[in-house]
Amino acid sequence: MNTERATVSVRDLKKFFFDESRGEVRAVDGVTFACQPGEVFGLLGANGAGKTTTLRVLSTVLKPTDGEASIMGHDVVAEPEAARESIGFYSASTALYPRLTARETLIFFARINHYPEARIEERVEALVDRFGIEEYGNARVEKLSSGMKQKVSIARTIAHDPPVLIFDEPTVGLDVLNALEMVKMIRELRSEGKTIIFSSHIMSEVEKLCDRIAIIHRGNLLALGTLESMREETGHHYLEDIFVDHVTRAEGLEGAAMGVAGELEGEEAP
Amino acid sequence: MSPKREKGGGVLGTLFRYEIKMLLRDTRTILIAVVAPIVLFPGYILILNYVESREQRALEEETYTYAVMGSRADWAEDLVAAAIAADSADPDTTRSRATFEARSPDAPLEVLAEGDLHVVVEGLAAAEWDSVRAEQAAAGEDGAAGETAGARADTAGAGEGVRAPVPAVRIHYRGESNFSREARNRLRERILEVRAQQRDSVYRAAGFPVAMEEVAPVESLSVATAAKEAGALLGLGLTPLLVLLMLSGGSIVAVDAISGEKERGTLETLLTTAASRTEIVRAKLLAVIAVGLAVAVINVANLLLYLVVGLLPLPANFAVDVSPADLVLLLLLLAPVAILVAATLLLLSGAAKSYKEYQVYFFPVFLAFIVPCMAPALPGIDLRSVIALVPLAGVAVAVREILVGEVDLPFLALAFASTSGLAFWLTRLTQETLSNEKLISGAELDEADLTGGAALFPRHVLRWFLGLWVLFFVVSLWFGQDLGIRGQLLVNLLGIFLGGSLVMVRRYRLDPARAFGLHMPPVRTWLAVLVGAPSALLLGVGLAQLVNAYVFPVPEQLLESFGQAMTGPELPLWQVVLFLAVMPGIFEELTFRGVLLHGLRQRIRNPWLLALAVGIIFGIFHVSLFRIVPTAWLGFVLTWVVLLSGSVYPAILWHALNNALAIVPARLGWVPEDFEPEGWWAVPAALGLLLAMAILRGRSPR
Repeated sequence: MNTERATVSVRDLKKFFFDESRGEVRAVDGVTFACQPGEVFGLLGANGAGKTTTLRVLSTVLKPTDGEASIMGHDVVAEPEAARESIGFYSASTALYPRLTARETLIFFARINHYPEARIEERVEALVDRFGIEEYGNARVEKLSSGMKQKVSIARTIAHDPPVLIFDEPTVGLDVLNALEMVKMIRELRSEGKTIIFSSHIMSEVEKLCDRIAIIHRGNLLALGTLESMREETGHHYLEDIFVDHVTRAEGLEGAAMGVAGELEGEEAP
Repeated sequence: MSPKREKGGGVLGTLFRYEIKMLLRDTRTILIAVVAPIVLFPGYILILNYVESREQRALEEETYTYAVMGSRADWAEDLVAAAIAADSADPDTTRSRATFEARSPDAPLEVLAEGDLHVVVEGLAAAEWDSVRAEQAAAGEDGAAGETAGARADTAGAGEGVRAPVPAVRIHYRGESNFSREARNRLRERILEVRAQQRDSVYRAAGFPVAMEEVAPVESLSVATAAKEAGALLGLGLTPLLVLLMLSGGSIVAVDAISGEKERGTLETLLTTAASRTEIVRAKLLAVIAVGLAVAVINVANLLLYLVVGLLPLPANFAVDVSPADLVLLLLLLAPVAILVAATLLLLSGAAKSYKEYQVYFFPVFLAFIVPCMAPALPGIDLRSVIALVPLAGVAVAVREILVGEVDLPFLALAFASTSGLAFWLTRLTQETLSNEKLISGAELDEADLTGGAALFPRHVLRWFLGLWVLFFVVSLWFGQDLGIRGQLLVNLLGIFLGGSLVMVRRYRLDPARAFGLHMPPVRTWLAVLVGAPSALLLGVGLAQLVNAYVFPVPEQLLESFGQAMTGPELPLWQVVLFLAVMPGIFEELTFRGVLLHGLRQRIRNPWLLALAVGIIFGIFHVSLFRIVPTAWLGFVLTWVVLLSGSVYPAILWHALNNALAIVPARLGWVPEDFEPEGWWAVPAALGLLLAMAILRGRSPR
């Protein structure tokens, strides 16, 4: 793998939670990958597989137990602020402030992410234009529909024009049209040369959108590569079959498929 | 404002400005933090004025009914008629007019009791009057308020203290009725006047040409001016009211700032930006402080507008005499209070996972704030005392003294400093605690929800100990007498402490070795115990003496009875050692420095706070108030012993040694029972304790 140009680099990353009855819970147990500019890197896994924990470590909300992770060369432990300055983090749970207007939201996030003060106005107007939020730009976020909020939220994520964008299960809870809109916007961002990490448990989305896919299961990375290379390796055409194939092999045959099915229905771990 | 030059300040400024902007768009904040303080004060004045004037009018419009009775009714009737005539002929136009109407029912006192009459005037013959006075003297000092048929009565005799054979009048009225009281007051005043005139004319007729008033002028005059009295009254309520407003206004902001952001999901958004945690916490702290200060400023401005400028006519008990300089002083004193409130509320909000949890924590905090603010209500409290050193209480007393007009700057400064000191410390604590990733993100706590079991224990440990305490309390209250000291100790130590601990270990599937701290410490630890235990005991005794002398004195007999119970002559020495030293050492340590500490240390990261918390809980388990300080001290020290050695064993030995040293020498008569170490003992004791801790620390903790 070419790590020279890597915008995101994760090496042997571990995050354990301590639980006295079960000992250590290994939410992430030695994950390694790197991402390049202009690619959509997919993290595919069931709920509780460790996707969100990995992304929370990348965004420095959680500290890793062991291993390294850096964004644009900034280590997430040593330089958390610089690392965060280089990312835009979007998840179904990253909400907006209801009492700010759309424009104020964008100005606020550009400013606290150290976007040059002199260019903020220009940047915000460009975003307002691009996402078509002109007509409700001065309305408070609490008054917006969910589709409008989603647009403002994505604009918020890229307000400071970061090189790396993290989308953690961004389509959870969206209706079909809004989910399609989301995928379309992510494609646009890729074409601008951003590095995008996209996590999901929805096979079809990952299949359509991601340049490379990492299958993560119980904190471990089971497979990493392009969809094509995975097809060749496993002999399956559909990503779902590829995924089940890997998980089954990792778990041993018995009960694995059932376990996976159960987890797919379960709630997402925080 | 170049973003390069002040990058950090810029972010902090932005965070703060937006925090305030969002606050100002929240109607709840505006209502509670701004509108309520603005409206409350003038509203109160207006209501008081309205009530006063309304009452006045009602009293004026009323026609007062009276009846005359008694053996000298004829004489009394003349007197009353003269009194009423004097009342309506009064040239003083500021006084309201009243109409009196005579009635003559058969049983006037019964009619009065039923409320159909306002007053009954009873004319008493001189002999009757003498016997009434004799009765009153027998009934005690203030027998004058003798109840007659459910009504009060007082008498206007012929000149108090003058024993002349003259008739007297007695006025019966109903003390609970404003109208009856008013009628009685008017009549009484006028009757006294009329009698004085009559007397004067008698004197004059006898060639004694001096007005009665000049012979015996009587006027009661309070040494305090009306303004001082009003200031004292307002000073009682002002600080609690302001703290109440700060707490309610600040709460909305604080809860919104952290628990609210957690619930909405905006906290995660904020945490993934380039703003540092310190900046985020600082901005929020500043916002809550701003609200507290706004409350203070608005209220002080209210005082200025209404008490100094006089925007509204004030009711009599509101005429406080304050200068603008006093108000500046007030504002200065209130600033650290606002900061203290802000830091506490934000800490609370950070510790709470949700609005609901915040509400649970809020009430005890509310009490902790309001109670010291009530300090001015304590009888005889004066700022020139220890109270100046008590945060909040000192400020509350100082506020009252400013309003009374007695400003003592050095003590004012002391009160300011004590509250400021606490505010400063709490602000730092809040900032450090909230900068911790777990508290602000709550991520690890969520993990406990998922995994359950042992991870839940730190959250439940306090509930368990509350339960144990209730059990402990009830057992000693209900069965203490029957069980005797040995039985009670057995029940407490084995049943409640050990039993409760084992239940917790089992319920949460805790690892017993970890939960109880069962690790063998290095040999040097035992040396530390031998040095440390007597030192800490001496310091504890000294501390208890200080508290006894300066904070709350312990009744002698309580100490005596406790001393007897402890040295209990009915028990042989080996039993005293077993029941009062060895067993408490083992089981109290396993419970408090074992399970309790194990649960709490995952919640309280700061070791000083942790030791303080364990110490206080341990102290509370010793029920009686005067033992809390020495036992909390012991608990505090023992927590450090366990934290530094990583084992419960040295704490067990230390505790047993401590108790044995406290009991055995006195029991054997080596030292007197009421032995009190002199002050200088504290120096070697403190050195000994420090040495012990240094030895413990020298062995690297696990």
